[in-house]
Amino acid sequence: MRDYQAKIVENKEIAKGICSITFDLGEEAVVRCGQFGDILVGGTHLLRRPIAICKVEGRLVTFCYQVKGEGTQKLQKAEAGSTLSVLMPLGNGFFVEKEEKKVALVGGGVGVFPLISVLREYKAEKQISAYIGYRNAAAVCGVEEFKKADKFVGVTDDGSYGEKMNAVQAFEADLKNGNRPDVVLACGPTPMLRALKALVEREGLTCYVSLEERMGCGIGACLVCVCNLTNGEHARVCKDGPVFNAKEVVL
Amino acid sequence: MANLQVNLCGVTLKNPVITASGTFGFGREYHELYDIGTLGGVSTKGLTLEPRLGNPTPRIAESRGVILNAVGLQNPGVEHFIECDLAWLKSTGTAVIANVAGKTLDDYKNICEKLDGLVDMVELNISCPNVKSGGMAFGIKPETVEEVTRYAKSGLKKTPLMVKLSPNVESIAANAQAAERGGADCVSLINTLTGMAIDIERRRPIIANNTGGVSGAGVKPIAVRMVYEASQAVKIPVVGMGGITCAEDAIEFLMAGATAVQVGTANFTDPLACPKIIKGLHDWCDRHGVQNVSELTGTLQLNGK
Ligand SMILES: Cc1cc2nc3c(=O)[nH]c(=O)nc-3n(C[C@H](O)[C@H](O)[C@H](O)COP(=O)(O)OP(=O)(O)OC[C@H]3O[C@@H](n4cnc5c(N)ncnc54)[C@H](O)[C@@H]3O)c2cc1C
Ligand SMILES: Cc1cc2nc3c(=O)[nH]c(=O)nc-3n(C[C@H](O)[C@H](O)[C@H](O)COP(=O)(O)O)c2cc1C
Ligand code: FES
Repeated sequence: MRDYQAKIVENKEIAKGICSITFDLGEEAVVRCGQFGDILVGGTHLLRRPIAICKVEGRLVTFCYQVKGEGTQKLQKAEAGSTLSVLMPLGNGFFVEKEEKKVALVGGGVGVFPLISVLREYKAEKQISAYIGYRNAAAVCGVEEFKKADKFVGVTDDGSYGEKMNAVQAFEADLKNGNRPDVVLACGPTPMLRALKALVEREGLTCYVSLEERMGCGIGACLVCVCNLTNGEHARVCKDGPVFNAKEVVL
Repeated sequence: MANLQVNLCGVTLKNPVITASGTFGFGREYHELYDIGTLGGVSTKGLTLEPRLGNPTPRIAESRGVILNAVGLQNPGVEHFIECDLAWLKSTGTAVIANVAGKTLDDYKNICEKLDGLVDMVELNISCPNVKSGGMAFGIKPETVEEVTRYAKSGLKKTPLMVKLSPNVESIAANAQAAERGGADCVSLINTLTGMAIDIERRRPIIANNTGGVSGAGVKPIAVRMVYEASQAVKIPVVGMGGITCAEDAIEFLMAGATAVQVGTANFTDPLACPKIIKGLHDWCDRHGVQNVSELTGTLQLNGK
């Protein structure tokens, strides 16, 4: 973990309301898929924005973000050539065991971006199926990456791209066709993860989910970002997560 | 290089920069970024007799120039701290200030007895706005401030006591004096100001607890004024905090009457804020021919006087 004074190489819109920003860190960083960076947008915004690391290529690191509130609006205006503080890599990330050969990726909304990093890290050694849900055709992004998976099923809430269903339904349909993975890795809105958790529990599948929570320090010190564990304890999303075994967290 | 060492009621600090309770855990995570032994001190997360799970999430919100938090004193309990974190934290070489909170007067005394002689200082949180019972209740009226201070002090034979004052009160001067009467060796201020931030789409407060404690850059002028008033009212040393982001901010607090300062929210914005502030203090003192940073304390001169 380091606080990089990272130089913006490119910052552009890749789908409606979704941007991709690439930084030059000035050195190569060792990053595990599913880890995140905490980006300082500055000015009157005292809190950093946690964003999943989507892609690492040498000294270059790319994040994809949805423009939502003031912070991400400000991020969208940041120009190539300028620098921002990026604290990274943070969190535990996704990890696939050696014996887990068939991997299913289930993602929705901004949750699709960390899954791109999983695909890039494990594509060579694993058989990967990606089930990705978007709001509509205009929000579709990352398809060039997901198409590199052994199987890619893209769906939308309104049917304007792929079938009209969500990512969990797409995954379930394929499961019924006999395409059963050894492990499921997921990221997306909480209702989606909740539905997925119920499904994998019925099916007896191992599943890891990446969670979102509002953060203070981003490094595990302030206990702002906790989630509830099934054993009654709290875990820090920023440090113990963001990736948890689905059966260990209360969603 | 200027001498940044300060003496805070008998405890020597390498420099006047202490990390504020609740923003720094027990220091381990920040130690991955820099040597926390270079800090004047670390005030721990608020410790209670029993472990606490704290409030539901979201626990934090942002508003321009400030943040709001309602963590609700999640902590592993004082015994866990003594067993698992204290030796490590001491080994870093920083001064260890145990921030404590209780529900009853006896809680405060018991917890102080457990820490007596083990830490460099105990900081009494009588002003946490985010827990329903106790906490804040003690911190509001001078009579209860004095009473809880006296109870806590009776549990401390060796370790000096710092009492942390709430800004959500009628008179900060009266409460500082009450702490002094109760036997405090120094006071620290300010804790967070109670506030609210609303998500207008949902027509609900952002923070699950509804209200939260406001801190960060925007509270600094209020904090500086209160530190000035408190330091005028008491003879014991004052530790100032509230919105400190850079060395110049810290110097304002010293001039207003503080012997040392604490830095909280700035750690979130810049995890290296504290080492940068320490370096900035050196630079400022050198540029201004100040040999000992302690010379700055209370040097403020009011206009018209
Ligand atoms: C581990 C992790 C990874 C993430 N990865 C991505 C990603 O790859 N792409 C992406 O678009 N978004 C991602 N998010 C969500 C992203 O952090 C928020 O959308 C963003 O912080 C919103 O900031 P804002 O200034 O636009 O919104 P505002 O509402 O103005 O933000 C106010 C405050 O709330 C926080 N906040 C608001 N929404 C969220 C949220 N959903 N999660 C956490 N904090 C929030 C902000 O960080 C800020 O501190 C991730 C969140 C987490 C926790
Ligand atoms: C997330 C968070 C948690 C806090 N927890 C505590 C606590 O446990 N005990 C305490 O006395 N103060 C606590 N505080 C208050 C700070 O120690 C400090 O008084 C306040 O934040 C003002 O300083 P700042 O503006 O530099 O942050 C907390 C503040 C924040 C932001
Ligand atoms: S954000 Fe501070 S512990 Fe996670």
